[in-house]
Amino acid sequence: MEPIVIAALIASTIATLCGVFAKTTKQLIRLLAVQAATLGLVQLVLCLINLILGLGVEALVDFFATFAEWFAAAVISPLIIYWGMIKTKDVYDEPVINVGRVGLLLVVIVILSIVLSFFALRFLPEKINVLPFVALMFSISIFIIATRTDPLKILVGLNMAENALYPMFAESPLFIIPFILALMIFVNLVGVFIIVEAYHDYGDLSVKAWRLSE
Amino acid sequence: MYSLLPLLSIMVPLSIGFLHLILHPFWFLEHFFKRTHKTLLLFSAFLTLITVLSMVPYVLAGEVLEVPHLSLYVDSRNMAGLVGVALIFFLASIYNVEAEKGGRLKPTMYNFFLLLFLCCMLGLLLSHDLFGIFLFVELTIGVSVILVAHNPSKLSTEAAFKYLIITAVSALFVLLGVLIIFFLTGNTNLFDITSNPYIYARLVENPQLLMLAVACFIIGLGADIGIVPFHGWLPDVFPGSTIIINGFFCSEPIALILALYNLVAPFYKIYPSNVISALMVGLGLISMVFGALVAYPQRNFYRMLAYCSIDEFGHIIFVLGLLASPMSFVVGQYYLVNSALMKAGMILSLGSVFFKTGTADMKKLGGLLRKMDKTALSYIICAISLTGIPPLSGFYAKWLLYSVAYNFLLELGGTAIAVLSLVFLICISMVTFIFLLRSFHQIFMGQATETTKEAGEVHWAMWLPTIISAVSAVILGLQPQILLSLIGVA
Repeated sequence: MEPIVIAALIASTIATLCGVFAKTTKQLIRLLAVQAATLGLVQLVLCLINLILGLGVEALVDFFATFAEWFAAAVISPLIIYWGMIKTKDVYDEPVINVGRVGLLLVVIVILSIVLSFFALRFLPEKINVLPFVALMFSISIFIIATRTDPLKILVGLNMAENALYPMFAESPLFIIPFILALMIFVNLVGVFIIVEAYHDYGDLSVKAWRLSE
Repeated sequence: MYSLLPLLSIMVPLSIGFLHLILHPFWFLEHFFKRTHKTLLLFSAFLTLITVLSMVPYVLAGEVLEVPHLSLYVDSRNMAGLVGVALIFFLASIYNVEAEKGGRLKPTMYNFFLLLFLCCMLGLLLSHDLFGIFLFVELTIGVSVILVAHNPSKLSTEAAFKYLIITAVSALFVLLGVLIIFFLTGNTNLFDITSNPYIYARLVENPQLLMLAVACFIIGLGADIGIVPFHGWLPDVFPGSTIIINGFFCSEPIALILALYNLVAPFYKIYPSNVISALMVGLGLISMVFGALVAYPQRNFYRMLAYCSIDEFGHIIFVLGLLASPMSFVVGQYYLVNSALMKAGMILSLGSVFFKTGTADMKKLGGLLRKMDKTALSYIICAISLTGIPPLSGFYAKWLLYSVAYNFLLELGGTAIAVLSLVFLICISMVTFIFLLRSFHQIFMGQATETTKEAGEVHWAMWLPTIISAVSAVILGLQPQILLSLIGVA
């Protein structure tokens, strides 16, 4: 792996990690945008360089596909969730378990990931040596989903988990990208639609409160 | 044989669905659609069923219908599933004529999502491309979530949100598995992967990654199906959806479970690890025990049916997990299609009870046998068929399952283990029998209660589909070869 790729992966992992401690929905949406932007930036720059150097149709298509992927993850998805927040409210809350335990669990996740990576890198083919980073970001995102009661924050966590797989899309066939983008946007729209409807039904933005009121 | 029929079976519901979507913004057509949308849905479901049935003679003649550049194939491996999905959808569409009373979605959007749902399930069964399967899985789930949220009651939004989050995370596992296989092989067509020695050699060289991908498929699709421990959404979705949406959902497990098998079996052939088999069998066993035991104390009949479904999924995953046995896929398919058909009959019957009484609490029900005789009859026939009582179709399904499990375990661990496992499976079936019979007793027998005293039989469009399910239980019980010939057993 090139140093620039490692730097981008570390930056996006830190953004994901910060998401665990974000207090407001707005902060978490910003972190989602930062995570997606840093993850896709390296690939986007590489495609741009290829385009400038090669000036071929293939390079142009590659660039547009990568740009669409990056734009959907870093701009459109956060905006859809932001729109959901405007329709409901910006909730100020903390993870359902206290901050000390959250920190401890995160340290455990990181250490486990490093240990696993050490062993995994020995048998992983070069093409997927980003897998340990993917696994780490994915685990942290699942942690966000599991420790939040605000449905919009849970949806942001889901997007972060989806973005965590982004480095693996780099080698995937081009025809699949529009479908994956459409699905990503579709899931966000469905999620926001349900959250807005539930907010109207229950008058609250907490999955715990929804469950208790039944 | 090159044929456009597989593509046509997807395009029929998709094109009619998109027609609804295109006409949705024209407000002056709203009144027209309000009056005709149920007929249009029924017509589309009928057309799809006819298209699917038109492929049956070719498959019975041993042909493989294919659209190679789209990786769509029809043969004895998916024909029964296709017929099952199209038939259940058609029956639910008949029921829909009287049962659908409106919700959050406008009629055009309601029809669009239902037809898209049908298209995705058929696509999932037809596709043999890894990315195709992933796309259809994700779309099926996304549309299902919207259909759950269609119910105007408060319960639906919480259930839909839970469903969305669990299944969206699980879809990521499926995607991760697909990407791993793609990186290792550079190919996405399952037939190419399994038939090309150069490609599968690359998979054999990386057994750990191959196992990781298969585990991702099992976790991802397992959560979408609702097997333990990923079942959290299922008991909320049944009471949260409208009675008719529950009917449409009965066809979903056929597509998802066969997709899971399609994703796991080829890789087991390439790298026959016992871990893959043990994982599926283990999850199946846990699901059947958990489902049967938790269904037993339920008061709400929808929750009882949800846990009963988990029990049934457990049986199917268990038998499909016996990957080394040559008969496991045949039996798994037979059990799956039969169980989906019986469950459709039961869910629609209980939907009729809910429609007339407004409650799903079995303690508040009773004395409906004379008032809703056709509904009661179809419910009890489907229920006892599901538990495996002869001469109904479920008996044959259970018999096949027991014989495959017994023979497999006899070879693996000897007579004692095989007999003990058989006794265990029979005990689970007895628990299912007891709680289903008790539910019939509580709902239909005894004296009428305050809730049921005004109830009467539902419209013929609502009891007819349930009666068809019950009749199919009798016919398939007496002539199981009808379904077996579709699966490719001579």
